[in-house]
Amino acid sequence: MKIRVGIMSFAHLHADSYAHCLKSNPRAELVGIADHDTARAQAKAQQFEVQAFDSYESLLASDVHAVIICSENVHHARLAQMAAAAGKHILCEKPLMTTLEDGKAMLAAAQGAGVHLFTAFPCRFSPAFQQMKRMVESGAIGELLALRGTNRGSNPGGWFNDPELAGGGAMIDHTVHVADLIRRLTGQEITEVYAETGNNMFHGAFDDTAMLTMTLQNGVFATLDSSWSRPKTFPTWGDVTLAAVGTRGIIEMDMFAQHLIHYDDRAGRIKQVFWGDNIDYLMVDEFLRVVAGEARQTLATGEDGYRAAAVAIAGYESVRRGEPVSITHTEAAL
Amino acid sequence: MTRVGIIGLGTMGRQHMDAYRQMPDVEVAAVYDHHLDRAQGFAQEYGVRVAGTLSDLFHLCDVVDICTPTYRHAEYALPAIEAGKAVVCEKPLARTLEECERIVNAVKQHKTLFMPAHVLRFFPEYRTAHQLVKSGAVGTVAAVRMRRGGDFPRTKSDWYADFTKSGGVILDLIIHDFDWMLWTLGAVERVYAKALTFRQLEHLDYTLVTLKFKNGAVGHIEGTWCDPGGFKVNFEVCGDSGMIEYDSTRQVALQIATRADGGVGGGVQIPESPAVQNPYYLELRHFIDCVQTGQTPEITVEDGYNAVRLALAAIESAQTGKVVSL
Repeated sequence: MKIRVGIMSFAHLHADSYAHCLKSNPRAELVGIADHDTARAQAKAQQFEVQAFDSYESLLASDVHAVIICSENVHHARLAQMAAAAGKHILCEKPLMTTLEDGKAMLAAAQGAGVHLFTAFPCRFSPAFQQMKRMVESGAIGELLALRGTNRGSNPGGWFNDPELAGGGAMIDHTVHVADLIRRLTGQEITEVYAETGNNMFHGAFDDTAMLTMTLQNGVFATLDSSWSRPKTFPTWGDVTLAAVGTRGIIEMDMFAQHLIHYDDRAGRIKQVFWGDNIDYLMVDEFLRVVAGEARQTLATGEDGYRAAAVAIAGYESVRRGEPVSITHTEAAL
Repeated sequence: MTRVGIIGLGTMGRQHMDAYRQMPDVEVAAVYDHHLDRAQGFAQEYGVRVAGTLSDLFHLCDVVDICTPTYRHAEYALPAIEAGKAVVCEKPLARTLEECERIVNAVKQHKTLFMPAHVLRFFPEYRTAHQLVKSGAVGTVAAVRMRRGGDFPRTKSDWYADFTKSGGVILDLIIHDFDWMLWTLGAVERVYAKALTFRQLEHLDYTLVTLKFKNGAVGHIEGTWCDPGGFKVNFEVCGDSGMIEYDSTRQVALQIATRADGGVGGGVQIPESPAVQNPYYLELRHFIDCVQTGQTPEITVEDGYNAVRLALAAIESAQTGKVVSL
């Protein structure tokens, strides 16, 4: 039986990738698309040759088993609660939420309705990251002491630059992937966050530069550069890197280093052409398997999404207070 | 002929000696080391005279070059300044801020020429990057990241491992990057740092430092004495109209790989970036030119003070877990 999936909103550019992953996966049937921007729903439905629903309600009233939510960040909570109430399994784009209250409501709604809520953290599926994790776990670098991460990008523009819709700027956009990798790698929670932000890149009313320092339960510390600091002429969208420093050595991962360099005269620029595995496909594939009844292995849960987003939220709190901020996990647990 | 006296004849003393030997208008008139046997070996090797005491050394030279470990800088710099000598002193300026203040005051009082040897400013990759940023090549700077380090530095006395002497990776190593950032981006508002320095891990030190500059830019420095993969540096400066980046593992002019044991044993690989003059020569040549012309060195004693002040603020942050304002 094919898993029937609908996509709720194409506001986030990752929706295109997920739609391609569903179209090319023999387990899946992309049934249709709903969007509060009905023109966008029409255009995307035409592009992917699927049905355009005139409302989220009508998509949820259909026989889809599951939905992928790719709305503006602040709408995740409302759409996820609607989907849960309709009994649909959910894969939600990151960051899961922009406030702790929203995140708790989402988790409670999914739990109450008995549906799966997953967070779209494809970086967990990277073979380079998985090998790094195996090596750290095997003791290859001795005791883990510190981590240094980056998720630098170019400014996606549009609603990402409107904190009312995005819940922040670069920090809310680019903290959660690496925060999740750190939790996944170490099995530790992030207990303290300090952040510095700036807006010298775009001079807008949002943070375009962000540097977080995190402390884990076991005292390991980490920094993460989540800035939109890649210039327009940068050969790709950005990067995901993570370096682990141990008593016996280091491991440095550059997740998207598997690329060719294309000097493109016609485009007037230099481009990176990625040839590594498609981690979006791997993530969507596991989502389909779990919806079909298989056990979850790598896919990030709703709680994983909550805990990663809580780091970015604590980062903004730290900026407001000008000091490190504790994350209390007794309070965060649900 | 400018007569130089070198104090401290370890690795840096040798580096500086090699640079002076290329200057026909400079004579290394005497050398001094509190290990007399080391001084004698050095003197024999280079054909220079050993000064038995500091006053002998001051008597024989116009310029004093201090290449001792950090914790002895003030001990030699202060009498040299008081003796009216032009002084070039290895980085960091001194181990404590109080010592730095005394050096700054002595330079002011005796109106002597003084240059802290922040040699990074004479590394062509860093100098070019500074000039590019200053010329507006990346526009307004938003983010700057620098990385420096390799394995733990080992010396016979192992003074790097003694925090009270070296200040660890934050004071000894990334002082270079602190100075470059202050030189290039201006004053720092506050600093926050994490480090392994106080974990009592034998021959391991590591730090991640976040800085907020007065102009709104955010900085990050990674300093490592935890990387067995060899010494590496990199940096990037991102601004509102562009970005520059450098990676010493990628921008390499010569990669040399040779097999040991006549072609059967394991090999060694050495990256090199040859230049007509090395940065130590350029740095000391600039200082000697200042001595000869009376011109002010482009690195001032205050620059040396500010770099130490920032490094010590980072150490305080790492030690207390608090943000330190400057």
